[in-house]
Amino acid sequence: MRSVALLQRLLHLVPVLFGVTVIVFLMMSLTPGDPAEIMLANQNATPEQVASLRHDMGLDRSLPTRFVTFVGHAVQGEFGLSLFHRRPVAAVIAERLPATIELSAAALLFALFMAIPLGVVAAVHRGGILDRLATVGSLFGVSLPGFWFGILLLLAFAVNLRLLPVSGAIDFAHQPPGLTGFLVIDSVLAGRMDSLGNALAHLLLPAITLGLPMAAILMRVTRASMLEVLRQDYITFAEAKGLGRTRILALHALKNALLPTVTVAAIETGSLLGGNMVVETVFGWPGLGRLVVESIFVRNYPLVQAAVLLYAVTYVLVNFVADMLYTVLNPRVRM
Amino acid sequence: MRLKHAIIAAVAAAGLHCAMPPIGAQAAELRIGFTLDPLTLDPANHRSRETESVLRTMYNGLVAHDPAMKLVPELVESWQWIDPRTMEVTLRSGVKFHSGAPMTADDIVYTFTRLLTDGALGGQTSPRKSLLGPTKAVVKVDDRSVRFELSEPWPVLPAMLTFQEVVSKSFAEKAGAAGMATQEDGTGPFRLVQWRRGDSLVLERFPGYFGGAPAIPVAGKACTDRVIIKIIPENASRVAALLAGDVDIINELPAHDIRNVEANPNTRVMAVNGTRTFFVALNNNRAPFNDVRVRQAANHALNRKLIIAKLLNGRAEPLNGVMSPAAFGFNPDLPTYGYDVNRAKALLAEAGHPNGIDVTLDADGPQKDMAEAIAALLTQAGIRTKVAVGDGSQVRDKWAVNGKREGDMWITSWGNGSLDPTDIFEPTLATGGRGNSAGYSNKQVDALLAEGGRETDTAKRAAIYRTAQAIVTKEAPWIFLWLPQDLYGVSARLSGWSPAASGWLNLRDACVQ
Repeated sequence: MRSVALLQRLLHLVPVLFGVTVIVFLMMSLTPGDPAEIMLANQNATPEQVASLRHDMGLDRSLPTRFVTFVGHAVQGEFGLSLFHRRPVAAVIAERLPATIELSAAALLFALFMAIPLGVVAAVHRGGILDRLATVGSLFGVSLPGFWFGILLLLAFAVNLRLLPVSGAIDFAHQPPGLTGFLVIDSVLAGRMDSLGNALAHLLLPAITLGLPMAAILMRVTRASMLEVLRQDYITFAEAKGLGRTRILALHALKNALLPTVTVAAIETGSLLGGNMVVETVFGWPGLGRLVVESIFVRNYPLVQAAVLLYAVTYVLVNFVADMLYTVLNPRVRM
Repeated sequence: MRLKHAIIAAVAAAGLHCAMPPIGAQAAELRIGFTLDPLTLDPANHRSRETESVLRTMYNGLVAHDPAMKLVPELVESWQWIDPRTMEVTLRSGVKFHSGAPMTADDIVYTFTRLLTDGALGGQTSPRKSLLGPTKAVVKVDDRSVRFELSEPWPVLPAMLTFQEVVSKSFAEKAGAAGMATQEDGTGPFRLVQWRRGDSLVLERFPGYFGGAPAIPVAGKACTDRVIIKIIPENASRVAALLAGDVDIINELPAHDIRNVEANPNTRVMAVNGTRTFFVALNNNRAPFNDVRVRQAANHALNRKLIIAKLLNGRAEPLNGVMSPAAFGFNPDLPTYGYDVNRAKALLAEAGHPNGIDVTLDADGPQKDMAEAIAALLTQAGIRTKVAVGDGSQVRDKWAVNGKREGDMWITSWGNGSLDPTDIFEPTLATGGRGNSAGYSNKQVDALLAEGGRETDTAKRAAIYRTAQAIVTKEAPWIFLWLPQDLYGVSARLSGWSPAASGWLNLRDACVQ
């Protein structure tokens, strides 16, 4: 039964993904003006150069033909040539992806490690000073714009205190041999503690900046759900049985209270992708987000199209996984 | 428990980093905070100014610019015109590629044939081909001489050769298009150690460097052992890196950060005139700007010095014509349209508009503030101006040379990297030129530009362009604006370096204490 439902949910993804593909494709056609001319603006391009670029981009063919070609290629992971890098879009994106995944994972870990303990403490001491501090803190976390908070951290820890590096992912002298492309993993695999330290030092500020809004949201969710759980009869029963406070909180309350936290975390993971663009730009992080921002500035449409599609597909799949996770964690919910 | 250990390890590791001295503390390492990652390391396969800036630290051209932007021989000893369609260059001897191979005439022929031949870059055609204009072929005369054969006279060739870097034939053939994009074998003062895409380039001094163009003083090996170009696109972060002592040079210093950089005892600001001319194109093909008196009135109505002081922090050179003062054939004696509201009003009245005129100034987003300031000043002189801000592509479409061109005024710009008139004067002001958004047409100017495009005698050619500039300034097809400066922030420990109008980093003589 469950596998049938799973299949149905998977099939639901098809029209969503198709819709996303149409929108991404139309992006180029709906843009006012001639994309080729826009891309060559400020290059003093001749009409022949514009015509040649139009041809390379397939703009001299009909819209339906272009769409079929686009979908056909997209399914095979081909998005044409990044016109500024003069290399296949897929290759350009692939080399930037590990840095973005590494940063997102670090931000997610930061958010979880901040939010869950704080949420529990705030709920247990409801109305107390810790609760108020955590609640006000989470309001700041949600409200602070990433680019501003990032620059603030930079000025404090990199410029004034000089404790952490300003930008980049690792210093030249500390680079581990590139096995996976993930600097932290590569450092551990190579047994290079200096590389690990250097990579983590570079990772710290961007991860905090990216993870903070998520931490704030998760803290609120954990707190609210913990409060509800603490009011349940089974908690009163556990207390009546004489179980220790820590044991009740950790085993009985938190386990159940984490359900919505996990779901929201999974959904919010998708939104990390959007945040990456700002944070990677501020911290000079060599990831996909920054590549997309740079590509938007130079109107590198093929690359932006591919990246938007990648973001959308990731978001849809992450949401799907979140749904699945929820049903696994909470058997009362049926698909 | 495991988690606890992991956290402790992470904190300890971060602490370890802090305890280590920063690498930048080493004396002979120069660090640069640069806006953009190179798109490729293949000098033939891009059209990006930033990519060229980085590549020029590893590669050389046949011709280069000296600090005053004068053309000087770099990999050649000299060039001479055999006839208006043939130019011969004599190669410098003793030049070596980073691989150790000597540079030969075959390398030059290969470099330019690769640029000129369709599909020569693994099926792609070089986007820099058009920068070689009517060059048909490049042929070897003997081991030290090479000829450029043109389909029509093109005296700007030496200036345009500054845009092309020489590659090694054997290396390029071995590496292929893919290899050329990620590796290098140039003749420049530095060679590539590592390129982490999107993050940094590490270069080291090339001991076999030939020393550079003798015309550029202190020719010799590079001063620093190592250069690290860190890619920091965000303005605030780049400035932060400079202030923190993390880098020694940053490009594109935002004007609003000038004060911060100047206030820091360890940093200072350096500036150089750029190569992009800003102007307001006036629609010469319809009323009211089809009357020269109205166009002149608009020029008198604008207080350029005020706008430069207030909006550009004083970092721009006011222009009275089309070209940069550093450009070939610049006319220093052009009349100035001084700020004179009464004169502007009188000219308007003379043109039959005693009560002023109502016009619209088109601008795209980034030019909005500038457009509003210009509009306010024009309005004071009776040219009541509304600003219409549109998306860049919409505005460009509206002013496309082959389009309807229904606007009155458009604030725009034109780059002139070669600093030769051919590259800016012809496209923007010759009748039907591809950038002639003003629709300006003057037979005498057209004839002069055509003549200048053929003349190989530099003195005569310069005189031709000076005459053309005088006519254009008098006829005022545009409101002449300014040439913004390129701003750099540098650390106090840096010496021997100055910014170049070309945007090239020119790191050979840069030293750090």
